Amino acid sequence: MKTGRQRAARGSFVAAGFLVSIVTGVVLYFLPAIQVALRDTGQVNTSLGGTAQLKPVSASEHLSSTAPFTLLLLGSDSDSKFGGAYLTQSMILTRVDPATKHVTMLSIPRDLWVRLCNGGNGKIDQAFLHGGAQCAIQTVQRDLRVHIDYYAWIGLQGLVSVLNQLGGINVIANNPVMDDYYPADLSGGNPYDYQRILVLPGAQHMSGTLALEYVRARHDDAYGDFARSQRQQQILIALRAKTKHLSLADIPGLATSLGSNFQTNMSIGQVSGLLPIAGSVPLASITQVVLLPPYTSNAYVGGQDALLPNWSLIRAEVAKYFPAAS
Amino acid sequence: MKRAAILIALMFASGLAANRTLAVLQTHTNAAALISTTRPQVRLPGTIYVSQQGSIYAIAGTKVRRLALPSGGVWTQPRVLPDGSLLVIRRFDAYSDLYHVSASARVLSQMTSDDPSTTNRTLQLDHWVLWPSISPDGTEVYFATDAPKPAPNQSYEVDFSLWSAPLGGGFNIGGAGVSGGTRWSVPDIYTGGDIQPVPLPDGSVLYSSYANTGKGTVVTVLGLQTSPGSRMQALTTPQQDCGAPAVSPDGVTVAMVCTHLGQTAELEVATLSGNALGPLRVLVANCLCNSPSWSPTGDSLLYMNAADPDGNFGLWYIAGAGGLHHGAPRRVTDSSVDLDATSAAAWSSR
Repeated sequence: MKTGRQRAARGSFVAAGFLVSIVTGVVLYFLPAIQVALRDTGQVNTSLGGTAQLKPVSASEHLSSTAPFTLLLLGSDSDSKFGGAYLTQSMILTRVDPATKHVTMLSIPRDLWVRLCNGGNGKIDQAFLHGGAQCAIQTVQRDLRVHIDYYAWIGLQGLVSVLNQLGGINVIANNPVMDDYYPADLSGGNPYDYQRILVLPGAQHMSGTLALEYVRARHDDAYGDFARSQRQQQILIALRAKTKHLSLADIPGLATSLGSNFQTNMSIGQVSGLLPIAGSVPLASITQVVLLPPYTSNAYVGGQDALLPNWSLIRAEVAKYFPAAS
Repeated sequence: MKRAAILIALMFASGLAANRTLAVLQTHTNAAALISTTRPQVRLPGTIYVSQQGSIYAIAGTKVRRLALPSGGVWTQPRVLPDGSLLVIRRFDAYSDLYHVSASARVLSQMTSDDPSTTNRTLQLDHWVLWPSISPDGTEVYFATDAPKPAPNQSYEVDFSLWSAPLGGGFNIGGAGVSGGTRWSVPDIYTGGDIQPVPLPDGSVLYSSYANTGKGTVVTVLGLQTSPGSRMQALTTPQQDCGAPAVSPDGVTVAMVCTHLGQTAELEVATLSGNALGPLRVLVANCLCNSPSWSPTGDSLLYMNAADPDGNFGLWYIAGAGGLHHGAPRRVTDSSVDLDATSAAAWSSR
């Protein structure tokens, strides 16, 4: 005969066994996300070449459901040509106001000639090369006089994988996007080869590869990098439709597809907290800003073509859309 | 002992169930169904040709069949000739060619040849030919091509211009343009150029023309030319941003897609009288509409649209689209089908 205490102990043991089994099943499901979380999220990037000493950027603990926040989105060509030393072809300063469901996106031209975090002058796309996200953030903060709460960096191969994982996106291509000198660097062959690309105009479904061609092509374009920036913002807006259907259960699949092509100082909880916010923003509440002339002007500086900033105009625009309170 | 084994098995099963439940909760992106595995939702007269995943499909009544065209490349942008045969584009990674095929998918002729194995191996010497259309009398083919363009490494420019050529005669697309063809337009460079020509009964050509506003944007207007090389007359404004014109067989009503410089589109129609376009009327607002095309009788309109921002592109139909009292939009294809939205459907009365 078993005593009541023995029965209770055995019951507890069985319950614990079930609990351990269920937790193991859940942990195994989220394992890819956990690996990414440990490796690529919650980054406190202090690596910086040269002599400059920078304070590490750390994310706010909680992604408030009401307080506005700023997010610096960074995108790099991440193929084998660069050997891990990446420029940022895309820099989009974003402000999200969850209370009013308003999003502002300001594309920072990659050729903008600025004072970098290490004290030297150069194109702003070199900031990431010199000191990673830390340097990119500090350069933007100092030059544009804006506070940045979070950053997220994605390599182009990661963008393709994520878009494919999500089943592609629907976009209205503004005009025929053609490029006879488009880099053939993601096909696994010679990364210095060219390929011809053509994206037809109008509404269409884009795979990850087609979307990348749409946002990356620039040679046959009246506005070059500016037009590319507009198209990058367009893809982000199209992605918004996808986030409406995503849940926590989708995070492992997305994490797997991103691989090593993603870094952020947000925690994985904050990243997943962004999804419902992004999905709830109406199209009419998205403000898009591109720094065309007179905000910038073409120049030949330091032996290269660059864009000179008109800081008084740019900073006024930044102060308007990215108020200090954020 | 046996009870313990059962308990352990149940524990293992509960962990597995938790894992698989999460997998089920994951958003699944189902691959779009092939149109030939579905049935049309609306029965329409004649035969409608559409493009999906590189193949051309014929919808006749409630049946759908795939045209058995030669394998390789992407077959797209079918156009019906008066005798029921088709002009079709075959697109490869770096170039495309124009084919004339029968309704039963027999290749009658390859009208252009840009195969690099027989022409060149310099990528930038390849050409696109797209958006074929037939003159109302059936004698001339109109199309857009990126020829001529600067020599390789001289310039990045690659833009479409409009050409016509005799349907039965030989013509060749090369670096200098289209030998045996007639050039209609000169594009605004670095914009994408001029595309989607629609020859009209009076001999003029309506098309989409991309233009640099000089203010940071490229917009499209509907352009009209009365003769090759003549000055383009804009029928819509840059602010309307209208393209993809389709003209009813009687030449009276123009269907088009306008974005009004926004992130969504509107399907609109207007009456064409001589060189003037009447007021635009909205048939479908706030949509992802593309590629309108008319029925052979001109009383109904087909177009591509995704029912929601994240949905599949299907074929849609509006009865009486040219009149003031048109029908409601109806989806022709099954919602599981995702068609090539940049390829207008071609509707044959046969």
